[in-house]
Amino acid sequence: MASPAMTRTGPEIRCTDLAKNFGKGATLLEAVAPLSLSFAAGQMTALVGPSGCGKSTVLRMIAGLEQPSAGQILLGGQTPQDMQRQGALAMAFQDASLLPWRSVRGNVALARKLARLPGDTAAVEDIIARVGLSGFEDARPAELSGGMRQRVAIARCLITQPRVLLLDEPFGAVDELTRARLNLELPPLWQASGTTALMVTHSVREAVALADRVLVFSSRPARVVGDIAIPAEARSDTALQGALVEQVNAALAQGWSDHAAHAQPWAAQ
Amino acid sequence: MTPALRLPFVPEPVFRQMAAMLVTLALWQLAAMGLAGRYMLAGPVEVVQHILQNYGLLSRALWVTFQNAAWGFVAGNLAAIGLALIVALVPQTRMLVAALALVVFCLPLVATGPILRVLYGPGPGPQITLAALAVYYTTFIPLLVGLRAAPASWFDLIRLYGRGAWTVFVQVRVMASLPYLLAGLQIAAPAAFLGAMVGEFTGADRGIGVLALRAMRGLDVEATWAIALIAAAVSMLAYGAIGRITRTKADTQPEMLMAVKPEPSAQLVSARVFRIVMLVALTAALVIALWWALMEIFALNRFFAKRPDDVWRYLVTAPTAQANRAVLWAATSASLEYLIPGYLAGLALGVAGALALTLAPALGSGVLPVAIALRSVPIVTTAPLIVLALGRGAAGTITIVAVMTFFPALVACLQGLRQTPGQVLDVMRLYATNPVTRLWYAQIPAMLPAFFAAARLSVPAAILAITVAEWLATGRGLGALMALTASTSDYNLLWSAIVVVTLGACIGYGLVSMVERAVLVRVAPEQLRN
Repeated sequence: MASPAMTRTGPEIRCTDLAKNFGKGATLLEAVAPLSLSFAAGQMTALVGPSGCGKSTVLRMIAGLEQPSAGQILLGGQTPQDMQRQGALAMAFQDASLLPWRSVRGNVALARKLARLPGDTAAVEDIIARVGLSGFEDARPAELSGGMRQRVAIARCLITQPRVLLLDEPFGAVDELTRARLNLELPPLWQASGTTALMVTHSVREAVALADRVLVFSSRPARVVGDIAIPAEARSDTALQGALVEQVNAALAQGWSDHAAHAQPWAAQ
Repeated sequence: MTPALRLPFVPEPVFRQMAAMLVTLALWQLAAMGLAGRYMLAGPVEVVQHILQNYGLLSRALWVTFQNAAWGFVAGNLAAIGLALIVALVPQTRMLVAALALVVFCLPLVATGPILRVLYGPGPGPQITLAALAVYYTTFIPLLVGLRAAPASWFDLIRLYGRGAWTVFVQVRVMASLPYLLAGLQIAAPAAFLGAMVGEFTGADRGIGVLALRAMRGLDVEATWAIALIAAAVSMLAYGAIGRITRTKADTQPEMLMAVKPEPSAQLVSARVFRIVMLVALTAALVIALWWALMEIFALNRFFAKRPDDVWRYLVTAPTAQANRAVLWAATSASLEYLIPGYLAGLALGVAGALALTLAPALGSGVLPVAIALRSVPIVTTAPLIVLALGRGAAGTITIVAVMTFFPALVACLQGLRQTPGQVLDVMRLYATNPVTRLWYAQIPAMLPAFFAAARLSVPAAILAITVAEWLATGRGLGALMALTASTSDYNLLWSAIVVVTLGACIGYGLVSMVERAVLVRVAPEQLRN
């Protein structure tokens, strides 16, 4: 598909000694213990790990939605807040988070407005068509299926041509068949366009199929227990994909058993 | 209803409703005929006759009251929206503004009416003000909930583009709160009518409230019933009309929790107590300051516009302070004697009714809409009627208070019972549990938050009911005391009574909140968080 770039060239993302605590005193929760991560410019990285390990919190800190308790985040030398002000970020959430009183068109157009970009009716129509929703421009979110709503959410992300795209389990709430279809149809819209993308997912298969790199976290407090590069040829080589899935699963299991041993010392005996 | 009885072209529910209505009318007429000569009950025939004979007078009076109610409705709701905007834009003020709004809502209309009458002189001023006072709280609270009623990810979405509170407000909060605003407006419509009528009780020269007062004083049974029914009908119509607009404007009906949910608070009990004490102290200081400032800014005559220090002197430092306190205490305890049983009976009957309807759903087909409609009737305006029927003693007064609390409690409990998650009930059905077990383990816990919200809001409503009843009919308690002092210009005692009633209402509200918290911590802790 020869298409105009849906995104702008992305920056490298560096997180240094990043930590996040919630609450204080007796209720203190150490969501992210000091963690240093870096993500290459223009790559897509999938973050996988057990529920509650803090991967979503990392994503939200990179988005500038949570303030780190310690450490630093730089996106091409800029803070998340700088990126926010330039309209350079986009994020998709687990639920589509569409405003129910706006039509599909209205929800997509809103992102341009929020990002201080001039209105562009043609671009809005174009991206709605690209995510496969032609004919539904005037529909309200309540009239759409779960999969269609996620398509709108992705269109809303891409309409601002973000330099950094953050996906927090974007397809986690739709059924398996829909998910497979969305995974086939939507990622090409931003892949190979130079954006830096991070995706939190629970599906190892999805991570391997979509990302250039899979980062595996242990249980909270998260450590990186696997850092697996996905070669480009894996996209077409299902045997290689299967092997990579095994590799990620092994890392996950390692992180999990470390954690179990840590939590229940007797279990190791 | 056997099928044979069905009329062609008339759908069965309509037919049933018509039949029920005819039976009710017939029973009513029979009862009226049986009780003829005892000044209690006028039958439908007499009521219609009275309305036809006095059509001109009644319609002129109704128009006057309707206009006052409408202006009060507009003013009160604008005030509510203004207060909610302050809170939305400066969230730190939320608890304080809510507390101040509660104090003003707890002001006894029976006493503020005569004072406003002196301030405004003749004319519709007091009616409009009382109508506004009667509506603003029930709009303000849902609006406050509505302005926060949006998933966190919507706010994240706005912040992601570096936008601040103003954009969040314009793009999310205003639209998200719309259904809540409309729900509040719907409750406000009959309340405005009630406020206007109470205002007319306080010495207006025109309006349906004036006619009601005259009819009751003259033991004119037909007129009393006719006017009470007209007031009820107008209130229901206003409620229904706004409900219709609501349904066309908003696709979603909000969950009606008439409460400001507490902020996710610090876990330490001592910290929470400290916050509450601070809030109460700050609110009290602000109320006193506002009271003083208003009196001074408008340079109101100290003879009838008492300042906080006047009340302090009257109740604490004056040589007669002890006697003054004794008078107030006697009236207060006389009111409490009927208020508490009436309040508790109303709540208990509301819960019992809702549970009975849940256990025997056949009974309840169509009860909820009827109960919602009856809830919209300003019960106080039918107080003369209940006093006519049950007399001026304990039975009549307690019944008025009980009826005032019954309908909100019933509706809240029925709606609360419906909040039980369907999957929870499915799990229970899976084990063939009986309906009582289901009630106990799933439905009652689901109902409790709505019940407590109704119980809290019923405190000021019950106080309004008892003071109006005492003032119009029984001649005892705080209501009578306030009416008497207003007419004898004993403004020191009147203002002291206002302070006592307002304080009492706030304390009652606080007590119910404490019970609520204690119960919900045990049965539904998730309701206390955010």
